[in-house]
Amino acid sequence: MNEPTSPIVQQNGPLGRLPRWWAWTAAGVLTAWGWTLIYLPPGVAVGSGAIVIFSITLLFVYGRQAAASLPAPDSETADSAGKTDDLEALLADNTSPGMLPQVDDVLRTMANEQQQKRLEDLLRRWVAVAQQYSEANLQLRKQIHAVIEQIEVAASTIADSFQTIINKATVQAQQAMDLLEGTQGAADDGTPQSLKDFIRVSDERLTKMSDEVVRVADLSVRMVKELDGVQKRTQAIDGFLMDVEKLADQTSLLALNADIEASRVGDAGRGFSVVAQEVRRLSKRSHEFSDRIRGHLSEVRVGLNKTYGDMRELSAADVKHAVKIKDEILTLTRSLEGKNREVAETVSSINAISREITQDVQTVVVSLQFHDITSQKLNGMLEPLDELRRTLFHLMQETLKFDKNLFTSVPGHEDLPARHPLTMTHEAATAPEPAAALEAAAAASSPSKRQNSSPSVELF
Amino acid sequence: MANIMTVDDTATMRQMISFTLSSVGHHVVQACDGEEALKLARQKKLDLVIADVNMPVMDGISLIKSLRQMPEYRFTPILMLTTESQENKRQEGRVAGATGWIVKPFNPEQLINVVNKVLG
Repeated sequence: MNEPTSPIVQQNGPLGRLPRWWAWTAAGVLTAWGWTLIYLPPGVAVGSGAIVIFSITLLFVYGRQAAASLPAPDSETADSAGKTDDLEALLADNTSPGMLPQVDDVLRTMANEQQQKRLEDLLRRWVAVAQQYSEANLQLRKQIHAVIEQIEVAASTIADSFQTIINKATVQAQQAMDLLEGTQGAADDGTPQSLKDFIRVSDERLTKMSDEVVRVADLSVRMVKELDGVQKRTQAIDGFLMDVEKLADQTSLLALNADIEASRVGDAGRGFSVVAQEVRRLSKRSHEFSDRIRGHLSEVRVGLNKTYGDMRELSAADVKHAVKIKDEILTLTRSLEGKNREVAETVSSINAISREITQDVQTVVVSLQFHDITSQKLNGMLEPLDELRRTLFHLMQETLKFDKNLFTSVPGHEDLPARHPLTMTHEAATAPEPAAALEAAAAASSPSKRQNSSPSVELF
Repeated sequence: MANIMTVDDTATMRQMISFTLSSVGHHVVQACDGEEALKLARQKKLDLVIADVNMPVMDGISLIKSLRQMPEYRFTPILMLTTESQENKRQEGRVAGATGWIVKPFNPEQLINVVNKVLG
């Protein structure tokens, strides 16, 4: 009964690693059986003894398994452990021959298997993490490629729109310049070709016309005065005609008296009677002439009266009104000149804005090159990712060769060996000049360094 | 005005170069890599080539070497327009036969000045 208790105090031997609770339980079972032995019939005692032995064996095996899960002794105690094993073997030979070494081996094997399982479990988890990372890496790569493509499309669209805007702005500026030249340009052959010239010529013509109106008005006043004189003279002529008619009447009367006197004289007065009749005929013709002159004079007077009325009407037109119209037209042309100056200033402003746009264009052209630099930076990010994936892939392949069962519990392991070489080949084909891209990204990310190190433009 | 070819794998860069040089009256053709550039160079005589360094299919340095082997492009100015600013890369370009080296991003006015200078 000493044998089970001896391993309890052992520290380095095979039995020494058994837990104390096993030895105490075995001793308790044995004591209980021994205590009840004297009260049992022989057959029952033999049966219960067999049960006790079986129980103690089971407890021993279970205790060894529990001991196997304890940490193994380190290398420093390996030698002393070996020596203790030898002592254990000697003790086993003397006390329980053949039983304890077998149980010890079983327990050791079980402990090793358990440790192996734990290591395998750990390795599976590492492999699972590696595969998950690999998948995440692939997704990241796809996303980066998508970003590069989207940036390219967006930048291209921006560049197109920008070009369209600039082209329109250029046309607009040119039209503004044409307008400026059109409004400010000089006339080559006297005809008004520009607004400014048109205003000048209009002003000249209007002034001249206004002066003519004033002059005509003055002339008409003078002509009215002249016509007044002419009319008075026609009235005087009319008076003269009346005098002529009176003279003719008196002459005719005298001739009639002379004819009467000649008749009274007889034949001696016959000659004088002829003369008197001739004088009367002349007087009558003189009267007829006078009537005809009066008729003509009357027509002249009617014409003069009409002209006189027209001229009075013309001279009565307000010269001030003509001058006022002239002033208004001049004001309008001055206003037009002011507007013309405003147009010129606006066009000049447009021209200045066009120059500013030219400067802005240069800035935008520089800024739009960000796409190239960004793409290279993103491609530079892909290379370390690819390198890591390659390393992971090779490690996983080697692990797979070592133990295929490692992948049995990893989700998605089925396509791992087939998929990875394919994806690696595809990515290797699409990866654009990794080393160069990295350098470019590094160069682009440090402009100050670049500027310090070398000029941006160099002609060899 | 001059016939100029811009070679760059980035569409925006080609657009910007084309826009900048067209605005001063140059005629610009575009190629997205060295191989396409060589094809275009054989079809039409160019007065100037502006090329990127890092491109798929055929890079800029290889393009210069190939162009310099063609008799009609032995003395044609070739400018490199790239993000590369390291001295060893510049040296590589110089040895290959590049006329000048411009680091991205380029300033339009500066590019026009350089182009006018190399075109003489």
